[in-house]
Amino acid sequence: MRSRDGIRPLFVRLFALMLAALITHLLPQTSFAEGPAEIVCIQCHSGMPEKYSQPVKLWRGSIHAENGIACNSCHGGDPKDAANAMKPERGFLGAPKEPAIPAFCGRCHIGVMNDYLASAHGRALGKGGPTCVTCHGNHQVLKATLELINEKSCSRCHSFDRARMIRDAMQQTDGMITTAETRIIAFKKVGSDTEKLEKELFALRNRFHSLFHNVNVEMVNKESARIQADLKKIQSVLATWDDTGRKRKIAGAAALSLMLLVALLAHLLRKTFDET
Amino acid sequence: MTLLRKIIDWIDLRIGVREVVQKELTGYLLPRNINAWYSLGSILFFAFVLQVLSGILLLVYYVPDAEKAFKSVSFIMNEVPFGWLIRMFHAVGSNMMVLALLLHMLSVLFMGSYKRPRELNWLTGFILFIMVQGISLTGYLLPWSQLSFWATTVATNSANAIPVIGPYLVEFLRGGVLVGPPTLGRFFALHVAVIPIGIVALIGAHLFLLKRTGVSAPPFGQKETGNQWLGDSYHYENHPGGIPFFPHFALEDLRAIAIYMACFLAVLFFDPYLFFPKDAFIPANPFVTPSHIKPEWYFLANYQTLKIFPNELIGLSLQGAAMTFLALLPFVDRGPERHPLKRPLFMACSIGGLLLWIGLSIWGHFS
Repeated sequence: MRSRDGIRPLFVRLFALMLAALITHLLPQTSFAEGPAEIVCIQCHSGMPEKYSQPVKLWRGSIHAENGIACNSCHGGDPKDAANAMKPERGFLGAPKEPAIPAFCGRCHIGVMNDYLASAHGRALGKGGPTCVTCHGNHQVLKATLELINEKSCSRCHSFDRARMIRDAMQQTDGMITTAETRIIAFKKVGSDTEKLEKELFALRNRFHSLFHNVNVEMVNKESARIQADLKKIQSVLATWDDTGRKRKIAGAAALSLMLLVALLAHLLRKTFDET
Repeated sequence: MTLLRKIIDWIDLRIGVREVVQKELTGYLLPRNINAWYSLGSILFFAFVLQVLSGILLLVYYVPDAEKAFKSVSFIMNEVPFGWLIRMFHAVGSNMMVLALLLHMLSVLFMGSYKRPRELNWLTGFILFIMVQGISLTGYLLPWSQLSFWATTVATNSANAIPVIGPYLVEFLRGGVLVGPPTLGRFFALHVAVIPIGIVALIGAHLFLLKRTGVSAPPFGQKETGNQWLGDSYHYENHPGGIPFFPHFALEDLRAIAIYMACFLAVLFFDPYLFFPKDAFIPANPFVTPSHIKPEWYFLANYQTLKIFPNELIGLSLQGAAMTFLALLPFVDRGPERHPLKRPLFMACSIGGLLLWIGLSIWGHFS
């Protein structure tokens, strides 16, 4: 049988062990998922002189960064191995020469590349004509919007007249697409099944975007009109949903009024029992 | 009328239904100074029945499979005739029921109705409160939306803070290391079978205790507001000269239920997304963590408490201590006085606690 003196050190040891376990548990801990670790390209380049760190700063404000397209998505290489990140055997491509830029971007934007190559801009590739980065920027890649067709940008190479005509022809369609998209998102947020409309709008937007690199005013006008006609079909579905929402509110108002009436009748009836 | 009377006579001859009606309805007397707060129990019962009915209708089309759950809910909302109404009825109804339950508990607290001999009434009511929170939490996952998925991830993760058994408990709750299809199966079973059966049993126990002890008279408008029960023998608190349950109080209940329904319908038809954050209609994606996942409004205080402390164990322990204290309140607060204005310490503590809960909820909402 263990003596009291023998039990005490054991008890103290057990207590110390429990205290240590408790303290370990009390140490700050995080239960929320941490964000993904930055790739080595960003880690190294961020700390480099201006010339090498600027692409990172520019990229952070780009549509690519917004959509999770990182350095290695375009330039290749190994984003997890700092020592070998820029080795060709790890798929590193570096920066393309000017005539190779459309093919570089076109690995992902295939349709857009074809539209560009078929346009006057694309036909002038290698002869002083613009490439993708001339209008869209290189690291701070801008989202393809009509704002990219502007006097300041276009008049670097030619007059803005024809570009203005094309932009004006597309302006209304662009507005209709934006409005339809906003409304579809609003319906989606309240549980409406917008999948079909989203797909239709996606296809229409792609058709519309293919006009961005077209410089034939007449063709742009005709295709814009066709796209608008299809957009009106989407608008009519959205209008039907609006109407359904209004009808539901009217039904709700009637049901609510009925309940208030029941409450009033119950109250009045209860009062008659008070009097009797 | 003659036919109806004949039917009633026929039934009465066999089971003595008139005697039951006289004893349980027209002859069941309630205190004359009974107030509208007493109708909250009936409102809750009504709200629970509505939840069960709308839940059964949802079960017709809902598929408890991680691959199909979101689409089935979307199908209910968009394709099933009046499916949107049933789904929103169930979702808004759960929030309204929690609100009514909180008000019911507050009224019991402030009128001192939890005091002896009604300790068991309070305890069963408190367990019902926990179970309603449980059924809400498990129901949250079923639509398998981003909100469902990540709110459940955060909620189940909290159990990790419990020493030793925490990680095992999380895995048990989730049916795996991460929230996934097995979690949906478990939560579905809990939501549609285990917890509802528990709630029904506890409602039965709660009503049985109410019938055995009798309704407590409100402490308002009386000279003597102390607890009359001496604790020496079982005593049914009757109310001679009181108002009959039927038709008097039944009409008051009907009025209260109609007002509750009017409020409910106002939310349902004019601001149905009041309780739905924007991630509620996006399908669950385990690879995309939304930036601001928040729990339901009634869990915001718990959520914020966990965030305040550097360690979740402290936050969980504090919440556990507060809940245990509340559950055992009738055994702690044993003073005979029931009128809230004659209980300054109780009033200060309960109003302070209530303000703290509201403050933490608001903080949690904006944090």
